[in-house]
Amino acid sequence: MKNILRWTIPGLAFLFASCDSLFQYNPNEETLLDREKDLTAKNIARISQLPVADTTRFILMGDTQRWYDECEDFVKSANQQKNISFVLHAGDISDFGLTQEFKWVNEIMLRLKYPYVTVIGNHDIVANGSATYRKMFGPLNYTFAFGRDRFIFINTNSREYAFDGSVPDIGWLKAQLADNPEQKNTIVVAHVPPFDADFDKELEKPYTEALAGDPTVKFSLYGHQHRFHDGEIYDDGVHYYLTTSMGARGYMVVSTWKGGYKVERVEF
Amino acid sequence: MKKYLLPFLFLLSLSVSAQEVGLSPRRKWFLPDHLKLQFAGNIGFLSGGPGYVSRNMTLETDLLIGFLPQKFGGDALVSTTLKTTYSPWRISLKDSYYIRPFSIGAYMSYTFGPQFDTKWPSYYPSGYYWWATSIRPGAFIGGKAGRHVVLNNRRRSMEFYYELGTYDLLIVSYIQNKGFLKINDIVSLSLGLKFGFD
Repeated sequence: MKNILRWTIPGLAFLFASCDSLFQYNPNEETLLDREKDLTAKNIARISQLPVADTTRFILMGDTQRWYDECEDFVKSANQQKNISFVLHAGDISDFGLTQEFKWVNEIMLRLKYPYVTVIGNHDIVANGSATYRKMFGPLNYTFAFGRDRFIFINTNSREYAFDGSVPDIGWLKAQLADNPEQKNTIVVAHVPPFDADFDKELEKPYTEALAGDPTVKFSLYGHQHRFHDGEIYDDGVHYYLTTSMGARGYMVVSTWKGGYKVERVEF
Repeated sequence: MKKYLLPFLFLLSLSVSAQEVGLSPRRKWFLPDHLKLQFAGNIGFLSGGPGYVSRNMTLETDLLIGFLPQKFGGDALVSTTLKTTYSPWRISLKDSYYIRPFSIGAYMSYTFGPQFDTKWPSYYPSGYYWWATSIRPGAFIGGKAGRHVVLNNRRRSMEFYYELGTYDLLIVSYIQNKGFLKINDIVSLSLGLKFGFD
């Protein structure tokens, strides 16, 4: 008995020290530390402190879902890039919508030299995912401006809402597009591109027409299909870019300047 | 939280009455052999319920109702779990103490809530998501220490157990990410008490 105690007590002490969540109560629990809450607002605050240069450079990446090892390699590669201001995560942060997964990805993304902001993906809505996303990151639709650019992040994961016509929120999108007194370049960022089967077919036209009808919208950014893809899909002056997944080990570097922009594909 | 508490208390009272009936000299075959109360282990903050043990006392099967209050989980969750534990070895110690140094087991846990699916709705193509969000299978290893006692002239036993467990989605995550994830990232501890009607 004494021998057993001699081993179990240090063993338990080791366990208490080594596990960051020693006790777990339910896979769907939404337990977050304070430093894991409201990350969107916190990171936008950090971005707004950054100096604005003639050219703004940022990274578009996404679909980290269950690709933690690859995501670590992404961070190493991204940290080698020059003059990057921030990173956009195009959604599918998690695979199963588990809070634990969001925390793991955040742990990796915190090693970036840059702040990162996210848009919600379909996998992030599964189970308690969207509730966790709200607590950990913030609203599902939001905007922020940096330099000459203005970013609109919108939830386009229509299938998760049974294609009920509420997602994407076209009314909200139009209101945000209209609210641009300084005529900044508008960059709409979402997870599911409008030409994907997971995007509400009824809303595809209203969505793409809203983008095409705004002269400040030159291009729009997505993830979801786990492949690089781009083109002026609707021949309406808006160029759509899709970044690939972490599993496919790629991301995009976007540069914008007065009157122009450039999108480069990077493999790591 | 209140709406979950009542059925939970009702179930507890059921188990308690079962326990009282169990005090009669010859217990009916269908009455449980023991009651368990567990802390953590991905089946609730606290879970409890009745169980049965095999004739040679090595295999236990329990039906546990678990509850996670919003205060500890960010969301109030109720789950029900079917759990089986195999503890092949028993070492007797002084003063009717004993240990079962090794246990291994598995469980299936169902979490209630409209946000969890067992069968994905028809607006998903088949196989779109391969897992059910309401049902989690898991596995664990652990050990127990206990003592035989006599209460009101009845043989009873009290056991303390610990378990280190994980579940399917974490195992899949670990297998694909052995660089970033360490085994302790997917394993968590649970502690429990068993009251046996031997």
